[in-house]
Amino acid sequence: MAGNPLDLIRNIGITAHIDAGKTTTTERILHYTGVSHKIGEVHDGNTTTDYMDQERERGITITSAAVTCEWKDHRINIIDTPGHIDFNIEVNRSLRVLDGAIFIIEGVAGVQPQSETNWRLADRYNVPRIIFINKLDRTGADFYRAFATLKEKLDIIALPLQLPIGIEDSFIGVVDLVEMKAIIWEGGDLGAKFHDEPIPEAMMEQAKEHRQILLDTALSVDDAGMEEYFEKGDVSVETLKRAIKTGTITGAFRPVLCGTAFKNKGVQPLLDAVLDYLPSPVDVPGIKVAVEEGEEEGDHQRRIKADVNAPFSGLAFKIINDKYGTLTFVRVYSGTLKSGDSVMNTTKDHKERIGRMFQMHADKRAEIKEVHAGDIAAFVGLKDTSTGDTLASPEDPVVLERMAFPVPVIDISVEPKTKEAVEKMTLALQKLAGEDPSLRLKTDQETGQTILSGMGELHLEIIIDRLRREYGVDANIGAPQVAYRETISRAHTETYTHKKQSGGSGQYAEVKIVFEPLERNSGVLFENKVVGGAVPKEYIPAVEKGIKVQADTGVLAGFPTVDFKYTLVDGKYHDVDSSALAFEIAAKACFREGMKKASPIILEPIMDVEVTTPQDHVGDVVGDLNRRRGMIQNQESSGSTIIVRAQVPLKEMFGYISNLRSQTKGRASFTMQFHHYDPVPRNIADEIMAKSA
Amino acid sequence: MRLRWVRGRDSIMTKAGEHAREWLGLDDAGNPIARVIHLDGPMETERGTFRAVALDRDAKLIRLLPLPPADGDWLAVIGGRVVGRAAAPLAAVRRAEAAL
Repeated sequence: MAGNPLDLIRNIGITAHIDAGKTTTTERILHYTGVSHKIGEVHDGNTTTDYMDQERERGITITSAAVTCEWKDHRINIIDTPGHIDFNIEVNRSLRVLDGAIFIIEGVAGVQPQSETNWRLADRYNVPRIIFINKLDRTGADFYRAFATLKEKLDIIALPLQLPIGIEDSFIGVVDLVEMKAIIWEGGDLGAKFHDEPIPEAMMEQAKEHRQILLDTALSVDDAGMEEYFEKGDVSVETLKRAIKTGTITGAFRPVLCGTAFKNKGVQPLLDAVLDYLPSPVDVPGIKVAVEEGEEEGDHQRRIKADVNAPFSGLAFKIINDKYGTLTFVRVYSGTLKSGDSVMNTTKDHKERIGRMFQMHADKRAEIKEVHAGDIAAFVGLKDTSTGDTLASPEDPVVLERMAFPVPVIDISVEPKTKEAVEKMTLALQKLAGEDPSLRLKTDQETGQTILSGMGELHLEIIIDRLRREYGVDANIGAPQVAYRETISRAHTETYTHKKQSGGSGQYAEVKIVFEPLERNSGVLFENKVVGGAVPKEYIPAVEKGIKVQADTGVLAGFPTVDFKYTLVDGKYHDVDSSALAFEIAAKACFREGMKKASPIILEPIMDVEVTTPQDHVGDVVGDLNRRRGMIQNQESSGSTIIVRAQVPLKEMFGYISNLRSQTKGRASFTMQFHHYDPVPRNIADEIMAKSA
Repeated sequence: MRLRWVRGRDSIMTKAGEHAREWLGLDDAGNPIARVIHLDGPMETERGTFRAVALDRDAKLIRLLPLPPADGDWLAVIGGRVVGRAAAPLAAVRRAEAAL
């Protein structure tokens, strides 16, 4: 792994909506770069990056897979990510550690919901990206229509670097607007043979027009390039590429290429674009160091620049357990590390010794002896490191900016079929939850059942399947339940005295707490406004603990209570009988009493639903969504199909796919992703409360 | 009419770093006869939010535009008169030359 100068490394991700061709494109990249001699196909279940049984059986990507290849003396580390929203955590954590990304857009449908979600994620992490409009061989493909959706849905300055020559069956190549030439694929040899030729006469005017747009846009970020243009009336290919790279890295515009990975056209220029326009580890500003408590986030935050001679720092972004043990995937940001070295887990403040280190190639691994800044590798031997933890040299024990994880929206109860399997199941689920931060595990206090919370039905279905296949645990599964939340809708002040002083050592604590509603997604805030030591300082953490524990079980139906602030304003204590425990008990009881009087409500997850249906079934689809309490947002026609967008409560969406299939004879499909939490209607709240009583 | 274009007054900070906020179009004698200028802003005032541009070299003449300028942040200016707007400086240069 040593020896690659940093500027010859690219760490990139490939991301898109389901079925836009991420894995297919990755397969071609691996073939053309000489990593694989045979091209695997998603429909044949033999691709390199979809190596899990479930991925091959279902033809979808579930877990992000890392592969490495060489192209024109550069090393490209690629992470192929899933498209289904249920596995969005994989995209999230991959984008967090990558320096660049290829966004694949489908040439028929254009930008689809999951592309939008992933685009926003990439915005959050400032990931430079290039766009590949794929599937131009498909019936109904239209480069210009798909291109228009980039502006409409992503609100970006998209900059074509290529134009398609032909479309659908007659798509044969592209016009390269940077070098003003045509690239034609010859067919055969799995797309390895292609040649340059002059731009077809019929496309010359169009090509000139788009090249002028390219020059106008690209040179606006390169003053030296502008001067070259004024002097010579044009710029060199080198100057233009430099300007495009600057604009790509800064996000001033987004370059667009095109092709059809499945028909093996357009992938080699895409690889060239990765080298030309996406940044190497030294081209990016460096990862931010996390702010200290009370500090504001901003440009002043310290950044760790890629430097092999600096003290070591890296971020653990993925954990998998297999028959050989736990593998921790780490993106190295600075320094060098050898197997056998020790580092600090600065997030948890303890030492970790690195056992063996591997360069991963999907599910295969090659042992390496050291890693350097810019590398992505898997470590074995880490005892207590989770996704999102920082590993750093004790010389400079930085904590890197943390990762944000999505909140699960669906719960299921799970219990093993035999009593003997209880311990085995618990251990297995703990391991699975350790791998996947979007999977939560808890025990229902009343029933003692184990509750799994995840991002969707498919997510939990895969987890249960893995439980059976990988850990040999057969389990009974409860029906999926919506992960409701509770909150309050008005402020209330409650005073509670906990008093047990009937002989012997007693208990005494009094708290006065103001409960106030907050905006959605604000979480839970605490403020201490006690003056004059009415509640001694040492008991304040006990009050916080009491509320935190009790907030997990809301007063209406036992769901976690969120989006409220509680302020401790007063209290009383007893010199002898007061204790931390007494204050914790008082806080819990104060929460229970106070929340009931603060107009509590139940919140439910509302999903963004997009149904793609043939025109003759639109009426059925819309009627059905209305019956499911859906709010139709809009309808859009795309060729002979209609896209219906709606917001629908998750509760009403369980089992929707089978209903949709029977209604439309299997011709419609839908995608769904979490949008926000909303109060449930009164009658449904009553049902939920009755069920939990 | 083709002019010789050079960097003009100070620079602006953009997403892509620091860049010239003005380009001057010089005639054969080297006299500036046209300019393309980037609109500054947004500027918050009591009367609302505007983008602003100095139409003369001493910034005595200022044009305020409400947000957002429909056809771009770059103005082509000849003798204190705006003759065109564009999203990119190069396109504004063409507008200025076309207006001469």
